[in-house]
Amino acid sequence: MAGSTIIIFAVFLAFFLGLAIWDLVRAKKKSLRYRVRSSATAYLMLLPAVILAFLFILLPILYSLGYAFTDYYLLTPNDIKFIGFDNFVTVFKEIGEKGTLYHAIINTLIFVVGVVPLQIGMALGLALFTNRKVRGVKIFKVCFFAPVVISLSVTSFLWLQILSPAETGLLNSFLGMFGAEPHDWLRDPKTAMLCIIILSAWQGCGYQMLIFTSGLSNIRNDLYEAAALDGANAWQKFKTVTWPGLRPTFVYIIITVFIGACRIMTQPMLMTGYQDHTVTLSYYMYTQGYTYRWVGYSSAVALIMTIVIGTITLIQRRGFREK
Amino acid sequence: MKKIFKAISMVAVSAVMACGFAACDGGGDSDVDSAGNTIVKIMFHVDERSTEGQAYKKRIDEFNTAYKDKKIKASASYKARTTGAAGYETELINKQVEGTLPDIITFDAPNCASYANSKLLYDISSLVPQDVQDDFISLNKYNGKLYGLPIQESSAGFYYNKKIFDRAGIDVSSYTVENPWTFDQFKDVCSQLKSRGNVTAAVDMRFDATRDETATYLLYPFIYASGGTFTSEDGFTATGYFNSSATQSGFQFLKDLITEGYSSYSIGATDFFTGKVGMYLSSGWTIPDLDNKYKETFASRDDWGLLPYPQGTAQASATGSWCYGITNNNHKDKSAAKELLLWLTSTESSDAITTATGMIAARKSVNKNYTAGSPEDVLLQQLQLTGKARPATVAYPTFSTCFNQIIYSLKDGNLTDLLTTQTNTLQTEMNRIKN
Repeated sequence: MAGSTIIIFAVFLAFFLGLAIWDLVRAKKKSLRYRVRSSATAYLMLLPAVILAFLFILLPILYSLGYAFTDYYLLTPNDIKFIGFDNFVTVFKEIGEKGTLYHAIINTLIFVVGVVPLQIGMALGLALFTNRKVRGVKIFKVCFFAPVVISLSVTSFLWLQILSPAETGLLNSFLGMFGAEPHDWLRDPKTAMLCIIILSAWQGCGYQMLIFTSGLSNIRNDLYEAAALDGANAWQKFKTVTWPGLRPTFVYIIITVFIGACRIMTQPMLMTGYQDHTVTLSYYMYTQGYTYRWVGYSSAVALIMTIVIGTITLIQRRGFREK
Repeated sequence: MKKIFKAISMVAVSAVMACGFAACDGGGDSDVDSAGNTIVKIMFHVDERSTEGQAYKKRIDEFNTAYKDKKIKASASYKARTTGAAGYETELINKQVEGTLPDIITFDAPNCASYANSKLLYDISSLVPQDVQDDFISLNKYNGKLYGLPIQESSAGFYYNKKIFDRAGIDVSSYTVENPWTFDQFKDVCSQLKSRGNVTAAVDMRFDATRDETATYLLYPFIYASGGTFTSEDGFTATGYFNSSATQSGFQFLKDLITEGYSSYSIGATDFFTGKVGMYLSSGWTIPDLDNKYKETFASRDDWGLLPYPQGTAQASATGSWCYGITNNNHKDKSAAKELLLWLTSTESSDAITTATGMIAARKSVNKNYTAGSPEDVLLQQLQLTGKARPATVAYPTFSTCFNQIIYSLKDGNLTDLLTTQTNTLQTEMNRIKN
């Protein structure tokens, strides 16, 4: 592995050096000494960032891409064979037979479709609420942001207590006051994913609230004054001033929330374990790669997932492009 | 400008060189220190600050003192095993991938087959003297070869609240390991507890503990006790075993406990300890909790007891704990590792570690002088007479997931369908590994 890393690194460095030389040759300044100095300074300044990007972004992607075509089993790292497209065939077979991967895709889709609008809607609502100049609003801001700084493991365990199937569980005992029977929220396939969606939206919306707030602060006040002079009501102000002003922020948020939602893993892992009704794509990949040790197969799933998410993100960007 | 240029150049060159050296370091750690000591590296699965971690540390320190003249030095690292992504096994696998495995590792007994099959573990059959092997209650073997020595042993049983039993007029004094209760008698006790015990549930079977190995560890003996099994002897066939009628009857017994209202998934973690549940299925590690915590419910040992696993068509009880194994790392000479292994599995170490953990000693010769009929004595007797290990299969992680998924869906799922699906999953995994 070390050998191949060095080779890849050497190729990458040669490419980087080639770019530097190409830049040097194409530079318009006449003095060669000046051209060498300015190009070398620029590229050397770039080098640390490029090395880090290579080590932590490009290299893992390249390895994952390579492993997707091998039978890499985690416990036998020195016995890796090239198997062509076998892993991809297994992926599509697993989907066709409605195996765990099929459930993982469906659950991830349900989660994305549920959490993206809910989380963004909650974040926008909270941002509009906390953006008002009212006494004590900063306390609300801190409260709404607090779940973001708590680790997902802690919030998952907290919600496990809330959703406990016992009569003494927080939600069950509350509903019990109205005569409802205790319910096993996380075991019931009809409610489990819904609970995970609500928990995730609650946990994550504080961060998007802050971004929306900064977006709101960029909207000029005179636009609201002009709208008021024209007799616009609150909804019309939102529709004609706030929303267009927030559009770039909204595009950024929808893309990042979408990508984050596609990667959900911690909540189902800690709250239900590896079950068909809550397993997600990332959890499936992790289990296949680490628990079952099939790195090659897991990499193939990851590659397909990356292509799908990348394509959807590009479509989103295109869809939201300013006309 | 010149100075800045020079500084940037130096930083960049240093970074490139550092990366180059890091890439060249393929785990070829020296096994001899500057004082000429042969270093034996060992990795433990517990936090160094825990009681168990402290016991290991003490024995390692004593080893280093005793082997000072022989120029062997043990170097221990500790990585607590946790649920989820981080943890001991992830660290272990990363070290295997990096080629930096320590000389000795600790591993959970069911992983023996997969670790041995993938040559992560070294065959220690010839390193451990026969008389030492004979002194262990169980050994970690795969394909007839020895790969691990248990650190300690474990067994489980049904803790029961004597006050609740007295209130319900239930006498279980005649049920011992040698004269165990039957499945029917077990259900009868549950029925009496439910009707006369004033409890929220008769027994906490730990059906909710499916997110880790707990449910598998505690519940698999019911399948063996029903005459069922999970895999073939070689661990590569599940079809015909995992979905056999005997195996199904074992799961059916567990399902009946839910459908007849004796147990459920929603029993609170402390319900037994606060007197709401009559019985609690757990391992020996519950004994210190009952002795030291929950004094309101269990003021002394007179307030609780321990019953063995019930008997079906056969007798079986849970076994298995963590073990030591020598790895197949880049150190060819295993003599120093052998010395440390034998030291850590000696009767003195076994005694010291189990005294700290409260578990059963792995070596027969470690006499704990348990009082006859005491909970510890019940566990030891059960281990020796009816202990049956989890299946030795290279696909154990998949087996554990499949077992957990059956338990998870036991209440509402169709048992035949569940067993068919999970058997197919397990068999597919076995075929993948075999090929």
